[in-house]
Amino acid sequence: MDQSVTNRRSFIKKMAMLSAMTAAASMFPGILFASEQEKGIPKGANLDWKKGPCRFCGVGCGILVGTENGKAVAVKGDPNSSVNKGLLCVKGYHQTMCIQSKDRLKHALVKKNGKYVETPLAEALDIVANKMKTTIAQHGKDSVAMYTSGQSTIPEGYVASKLMKGAIGTNNLDCNARLCMASAVTGFLTTFGADEPMGCYEDIDHADYFITWGNNMAEMHPVLFSRMLEQKSRRDVKIIDFATRTTRSSTASDRSILFEPQTDLAIANAICYEIIKNKWVNKSFVEKHCNFSKGITNMGYGLEDNYEFTDKPEKINFEAYKEFLKDYSPEKVSKYSKVSVMDIKYLASIYGDPNKKVVSYWCMGVNQHTRGTWMNNLIYNIHLLTGKISKPGDGPFSLTGQPSACGTAREVGTFTHKLPHGVVMNQKDRELAAKIWKVPVEKIPSKPTYHATEMFRAVDRGEIKFIWTQATNPLVSLPKTGRYRPAMEKESCFVVVSDVFPTPTSDVADVILPAAWHIEKSGLYGNSERRTQHWDKMVEAPGEATADAWMFIEVAKRMGYGDLFPYSKENHVEEIYNEYRQFHEGSKHGMAPLEVLKKESGAIWPYVEGKSTQWRFNAKYDPACSNGEAFHFYGKPDGKAVIWQRPFEDAPEKPDAEYPFWLNTGRVIEHWHTGSMTRRIPVLHQAMPNAYVEFHPDDAKALGVRNGENIKVTSRRGYCVLPASINERGLPTKGQVFVPFFDENMLINDVTLDAFCPISKEPDYKKCAVKVEKA
Amino acid sequence: MKKRLVIILFFVIIFITFIVVWNFSYQKGLEEAYMPVIETPAGNFMPTESGVFKRSNVAVDYLNMPVDENHQRTLEAYYASRAFPGAPPSIPHPVAKERSLGGNTCLQCHQNGGFVEKYSAYAPITPHPEMVNCRQCHVTKNTNETFKEFTFSKKQPPKVGEGQNSALLGSPPVMPHQLQMRENCLSCHAGPSTPKLIRVSHPERVNCRQCHVPKTNEQVQVDINKFLRQFNSSSNE
Repeated sequence: MDQSVTNRRSFIKKMAMLSAMTAAASMFPGILFASEQEKGIPKGANLDWKKGPCRFCGVGCGILVGTENGKAVAVKGDPNSSVNKGLLCVKGYHQTMCIQSKDRLKHALVKKNGKYVETPLAEALDIVANKMKTTIAQHGKDSVAMYTSGQSTIPEGYVASKLMKGAIGTNNLDCNARLCMASAVTGFLTTFGADEPMGCYEDIDHADYFITWGNNMAEMHPVLFSRMLEQKSRRDVKIIDFATRTTRSSTASDRSILFEPQTDLAIANAICYEIIKNKWVNKSFVEKHCNFSKGITNMGYGLEDNYEFTDKPEKINFEAYKEFLKDYSPEKVSKYSKVSVMDIKYLASIYGDPNKKVVSYWCMGVNQHTRGTWMNNLIYNIHLLTGKISKPGDGPFSLTGQPSACGTAREVGTFTHKLPHGVVMNQKDRELAAKIWKVPVEKIPSKPTYHATEMFRAVDRGEIKFIWTQATNPLVSLPKTGRYRPAMEKESCFVVVSDVFPTPTSDVADVILPAAWHIEKSGLYGNSERRTQHWDKMVEAPGEATADAWMFIEVAKRMGYGDLFPYSKENHVEEIYNEYRQFHEGSKHGMAPLEVLKKESGAIWPYVEGKSTQWRFNAKYDPACSNGEAFHFYGKPDGKAVIWQRPFEDAPEKPDAEYPFWLNTGRVIEHWHTGSMTRRIPVLHQAMPNAYVEFHPDDAKALGVRNGENIKVTSRRGYCVLPASINERGLPTKGQVFVPFFDENMLINDVTLDAFCPISKEPDYKKCAVKVEKA
Repeated sequence: MKKRLVIILFFVIIFITFIVVWNFSYQKGLEEAYMPVIETPAGNFMPTESGVFKRSNVAVDYLNMPVDENHQRTLEAYYASRAFPGAPPSIPHPVAKERSLGGNTCLQCHQNGGFVEKYSAYAPITPHPEMVNCRQCHVTKNTNETFKEFTFSKKQPPKVGEGQNSALLGSPPVMPHQLQMRENCLSCHAGPSTPKLIRVSHPERVNCRQCHVPKTNEQVQVDINKFLRQFNSSSNE
């Protein structure tokens, strides 16, 4: 007994000493963490570690891939990356496993008499180039189209744009980022005149409050959420989850506030109403740095083919804006948003408190919205009215979904209206592109053509005779796939699919090109915080699988544009990046030189005089500010950001007697997008083998539905049968069901609606009306 | 004279006050009994998974706590009190009140743990403190005998340790056990009562399921064969 008492005493002494030591070490837990992982690796293993960005979401974590005998055998977080500081999520840790899947596409497949025939790649590329050439000769330049991806690397997007817009001379180029980030882009452009967030991830270390708008970060941006949780355990930080579904994020938050779908528009306005009513407006900031505008209302929903819309901005004054907000008192909004007056006032008081730093995060809940541009504008309104923007720990932060939605889709500009710098409608931007591309300026058409949804409608109408998709799976991810699958199967359109694995999209292809995966090629990605990241090829691709950029170049050469693509096979990534950098020269968007990116775990643009710019528009951090004030929103000609008057408008389709439920769709942590990669990773598939339909327990009880029972979810467009899930991963509000879209065997997008935001053309996957019954 | 007036006034005030109070309480008594109906907000339920964050408030304490080498539980001891992996453990010590459900009595030690001088050990922490009928599942062991001779083929516990449950070298291990009633990871995988082999090195990372996923779908086994898509592309010649 005596013995144990002295033991305990010395133990307590040791404990006090040790806790002081660990407290100091735990300041950088991520860095300790990556070395922790190494314990799991046998001592004798002789691994070669190479750095790169993660293949999956828009957070853009730094990874280190361990290779041995030419095979990728391990993945760990890059401790030098300031994004994730050595931590990853379950997808990141297992990502390289997918390339060993047995059904990997290793050779080109060409459809002959209804069967796929293995064909040498050179021959398949001949077929693609010939088909493209003859189609253009017969039906004109606008009969061929290319549909790329936010997962394309910067060189891939750049070559695609140069081939379509510069060489062929058509704007028929769009990408799947239209389905996820378009509203964020138009939000930034309408409010600030410059795309992409002003802040960076370091905001997490400074903020007092995180307010997440329709965003389940614990599953979708897990590493950033872990950084938030870390702050929560270290200091007095609060997370407020504002959503239509109770999720992992809600349960980890300090407060979860649920609202009726679509009423986020009204609540954002109600917050502004309260801020003005309680005199929480940062008057000097608003007077110096903001304008007020309104646009066209009742814009429609783009449900009909050939729908067009252009907003007409009109300047208003503060008084008119105040008058407009009178319809949005918390009392009035509370009635239809199902959020209590107290909760609305609580949210407003957080934004209004001048002593608290607030970061707002959002992603698909706000962007995939028939009023997505408006919703982005409204969140900016809140931050502009209170002056909580462009400062460490204070700011609105639009998160991205794909690893290079920012770097490729938005910065290189693989949208129909975009050029690597500026838009096709602008004469000066066309001239710059023509100069760098060395093509006559008349070659680049000045009118945008098809955005993603309209592109596939044009395939259905027979206007597009040739389409080439790359690194994307539209027949799982488009809304209302029930229309677009038969469209792609039509004889009138020749379909080329470049991918790593067979997908429902490659099922309808005439030619399937085998693509090299992520670490089997070199490339560059750009993440949500404007960070550009480079990686070198780490392993060889199997069979004839080839980097997408090189397949584009090969086809361009076969079409007779060889002189525009004078790149070498070994070094094309470097050559293309150096050419591309010329588009962004200057202090507003300068990109870091490749030597820097090769050495460091990414750099944030504007990269000026060897330094990343972490907070844009703030003179303290951003050398591009030139008006002599503390802030300069230089995206707009007068240097002022715009506070937009945007009203609440209903969703195009609401639950009614026949279709009484809202259908919401989204993701789960284990799977990424359409699951073509993550489902081929055994760990992830075993954890989440199939999709399901989530019910609120009260609804399940009323319908007599038990867990696991087969349920038929039907809308006016189609149906889908899935097992029921009650009170498991997530919990939709009453009157709502939720289905993840990763499962190609349970295509929920046959059910969804292809309505979109008229300004951004981004579809709303979060709201349509369905009925549910036992199958 | 003045004194008398004051006294009379005093009684008058008392009388009036009495009338007022009596009236008020009489009127109150006439009101119909009424119970305010509180509407349950739609989000009052929590998904079963929420357990993962339950002990996150003490995660940093766990991180800063040094290991008490002299009083560590072994994994063998952990499994010794369970009939099979995943079975409710039996109670290895005498209980004070035979008639009690357990509840607060058990929770005093097993809700937050701590060193128990008497047994020279740290009390293990329950992952489900909200279930207070402890002795519904956990029973004491009062004899080592069996009624009749008995052979029970005990399921071997999952292997643990470096690399045992990792798919790639050094990748985060998957969870080799069921999660029902054990969604709260930190209660068993952190703290001084945790067996060394299953103690997590990074308890401060409270979103455990960011990196560690279950090996099988715990909740519902679905026959997905009927949903399988036919792969056209791979049907090459």
